[in-house]
Amino acid sequence: MSDRKITIEYNDHVVRQFLLASVIWGAVGMLAGVFVASQLNYWRLNFDLPWLTFGRLRPLHTNAVIFAFVGNMMFAGVYYSTQRLVKARLASDFLSSLHFWGWQLIIVAAAISLPLGFSRGKEYAELIWPINIAVAFIWVVFAVNFFWTLKRRHEPALYVAIWFYIATIITVAMLYIVNHLSLPTSLLHSYPVFGGVQDALVQWWYGHNAVAFFLTTPILGIMYYFVPKAAERPVYSYRLSVIHFWSLVFVYIWAGPHHLLNTALPDWLQTLGMTFSLMLWAPSWGGMLNGLLTLRGAWQKLRSDPVLKFFAAAVTFYGMATFEGPLLSIKSVSALGHYTDWIIGHVHAGALGWNGFMAAGMIYWLLPRLWNKPLYSTSLANLHFWVGTVGILFYIAAMWTSGITQGLMLNATAENGTMLAYPNFVETLNAIKPMMLFRVLGGGLYLIGWLLLVYNLYRTVRGARPVNGTMEVFATDRSADERLGFGSMVFNPPVMFAALGTVFACAWMFGGDLLKLAGLFGTALCVMLAWVHFHARTIRWAAWYDRLLVNAMPFTILTFVAVAAGGMIQIIPTTLVNRAENVEGRRAIPYTPLELAGRDLYVSEGCYNCHSQMIRTLVPDVLRYGDYSRLGESIYDYPFQWGSKRTGPDLARVGGKYPHVWHYRHMMDPREVSPGSNMPNYPWLFERKTDVAALDSKLAVQRILGVPYPEYKDGELLLAVETQAKSIADDLRASGVYIAPDREIVALIAYLQKLGKHEIVAPLKSAAK
Amino acid sequence: MNPNKPVQEPGDDPIREHVFDGIAEYDRRMPNWWLMTLYASIVFAVGYWMVTQHFSTSNDETRLAAELQRIETEKIAASSTTLDDATLWKMSRNPAFVDAGRTTFQSTCASCHNAALTGGIGPNLVDAEWIHGGTPGEVLKTVTEGVLPKGMPGWGPMLGGKKVSEVVAFILSQHDAP
Repeated sequence: MSDRKITIEYNDHVVRQFLLASVIWGAVGMLAGVFVASQLNYWRLNFDLPWLTFGRLRPLHTNAVIFAFVGNMMFAGVYYSTQRLVKARLASDFLSSLHFWGWQLIIVAAAISLPLGFSRGKEYAELIWPINIAVAFIWVVFAVNFFWTLKRRHEPALYVAIWFYIATIITVAMLYIVNHLSLPTSLLHSYPVFGGVQDALVQWWYGHNAVAFFLTTPILGIMYYFVPKAAERPVYSYRLSVIHFWSLVFVYIWAGPHHLLNTALPDWLQTLGMTFSLMLWAPSWGGMLNGLLTLRGAWQKLRSDPVLKFFAAAVTFYGMATFEGPLLSIKSVSALGHYTDWIIGHVHAGALGWNGFMAAGMIYWLLPRLWNKPLYSTSLANLHFWVGTVGILFYIAAMWTSGITQGLMLNATAENGTMLAYPNFVETLNAIKPMMLFRVLGGGLYLIGWLLLVYNLYRTVRGARPVNGTMEVFATDRSADERLGFGSMVFNPPVMFAALGTVFACAWMFGGDLLKLAGLFGTALCVMLAWVHFHARTIRWAAWYDRLLVNAMPFTILTFVAVAAGGMIQIIPTTLVNRAENVEGRRAIPYTPLELAGRDLYVSEGCYNCHSQMIRTLVPDVLRYGDYSRLGESIYDYPFQWGSKRTGPDLARVGGKYPHVWHYRHMMDPREVSPGSNMPNYPWLFERKTDVAALDSKLAVQRILGVPYPEYKDGELLLAVETQAKSIADDLRASGVYIAPDREIVALIAYLQKLGKHEIVAPLKSAAK
Repeated sequence: MNPNKPVQEPGDDPIREHVFDGIAEYDRRMPNWWLMTLYASIVFAVGYWMVTQHFSTSNDETRLAAELQRIETEKIAASSTTLDDATLWKMSRNPAFVDAGRTTFQSTCASCHNAALTGGIGPNLVDAEWIHGGTPGEVLKTVTEGVLPKGMPGWGPMLGGKKVSEVVAFILSQHDAP
């Protein structure tokens, strides 16, 4: 070791940039939330304007809060803490700047494209393909900048916060890329390469783990840095850190199918989704314990310090949400809670409580340090805390009441279980309207709290001079014996036992009779041997892990293997299986070109934000909407539109249920045929012309994806569209309304009337699983 | 004093030697109840998989089919006392049935047939013209089974025999009894 001392100046400039961006986008995202929540109570707030309707603004709200608010906050926290934890300045000022400005540009592009109706129709993955490429590119910039910084670190060992950052970076990259694989039909439109059940599975593998690896793991890393810093206490338990990190990253990835319980998704996947969600409870609470118990010995500071108040409340809400999550993943609880406001309440306990309060605590702690000036007002920050807390409690209490009320009403039966007690869907909607208003109040309070932070920040920063942290380090050469080669990365007790155990467990779960038995014995043997070996050779296990911690690349590779396993085991069988065998005796009739155009309108208007297309294998669902949905019925759906929320009724079998004129009037003014509805009016569909010209390239892509469209000769496509449109317009005229056949509403009616149309196919013998 | 060496108070839990930017870590045992929760959930997952995937003879689809069959049996049994025209006319003069029928009509039927029954998307129900037959039995059949090509859904499965007969009684109450 040489004694040469060097001084490092941290790149806190980019931290300040991300921090300010997070505060601003946070306000925008929350404002959008309060607005869309109000629209559910007062449909007039849709203003009959396409770019202000709920279906387009709700994706804007979710994307803004996840990627703009939490995204920027995460980058600020990761960059601030990483530089200090590894004792190195961010590797590249250029990449840092590119990361910041690239990300803001993406947010602006999203804020413009989503209200204009450019959407991929998949939740939290709505952005169109050119923006997807930009996101992936900027994420790689982030990754390069981060790992390059690790490479130049003066602190050999990786602290637990860094583990979580590594897991975040590689997993989000994997999830984002796979779920955004698309074939473009034009510069602004594409179809996902997966359809139907495959798309559903990939989407919720992504959707659930966006929560896990975008909203949870980076924030846990931030917790591991800022909570002990603010409390000035050691972290509660290092061993808990190790166990809960590895169990969390391994288990989380499997839990995605709990978004698809009681649907047409194959039973074994539903079972895995439920059991892994339950197994996720303890790993999640490990994080909560390490956060809360680190505050032991610092409780008295909570009274005066708003930062610790925010952290303590945030970690508590994290614990609450991660208990509620497994609970909701139990199949019978999901039968009640799924598609209702309960889920909305659950995510907001996480987003407002965990993410929002971690952000607030971190920002109040960072402000004085980044601008070298005391916080303008501690009492304002305390006020923010109380207003925000009351806001969250209002919000989640209202959503529990609303979700459980509506769930019970929708599932209630009368006359000895043979009839629905509330056959009219709107009746259940009207019952929860007071609760939805209460939610607006809670969200409004939370927004007011955030504006207090904005004001406090403005007064603190105004006239202050930004400062960058510095640190003196010894330039050291790392000794060679600490290097972990490929051999010692793989061939060591913890990794071998874990890998063998997983392989045996898979053999037990998926194997035939003999393999199953061997797998069961193998798993049991593996667990016992690992147990005995660990207790006999604890020091060896610990020494190996200490060595792993000074080797960033092997650590990253092992983390990737742990997160990739679950997704591969769940998704690959479903994507590789012959689709013709996976239809449960029914196959959708492909959409005609006009119906496809109508479907793209359905996707673009964001109808899936309020309407599902999935009748579950539950009696009340079947009584209300008809026979339950089969896999084959959405086989040609790119993207799938099973939905996740029923603010309105399910539409899987709405085709043929009403006459054309019913849909015509309903889209013009839903309340005319469905009194009490809160659906927006869609007057523009009656003025705009269907984009028939785009159909040529759309059909070409659909053919590549495997939808059996014929090759149309010159003019045949146009003729097919015109003939069908004219027959619908003629039927409407017979009912007394006049509309030109080339209008969008005609295409949409064509699509809606197709929903649920299928042909019966003979089941194949090999379709057992 | 080495800033990288944490302060170990006597009697305190063991603390790890290394400090990261001033952050120390206790080397504590994990709480037993937490470990038990983790193990219990794993054991449950194994057991649940065994029960549902290896030993169970039924699944969601078969359970649903059995329940739907029960419902159908019950409905057929309940509908064995058929309502003849005379009974329906009698119901149409009984405010208990008519009021109940009016409530259902306003929430379910009025959107197409208009609150005043004068028609809209669906036909007028108070004039003398009956497209699908005007005897009480025929009206009951139309409401129960619907006229799918014309866009009239079959309401029997949705509302049930009781509510449908009340709605018919309400419609008949707007007409003169023979």
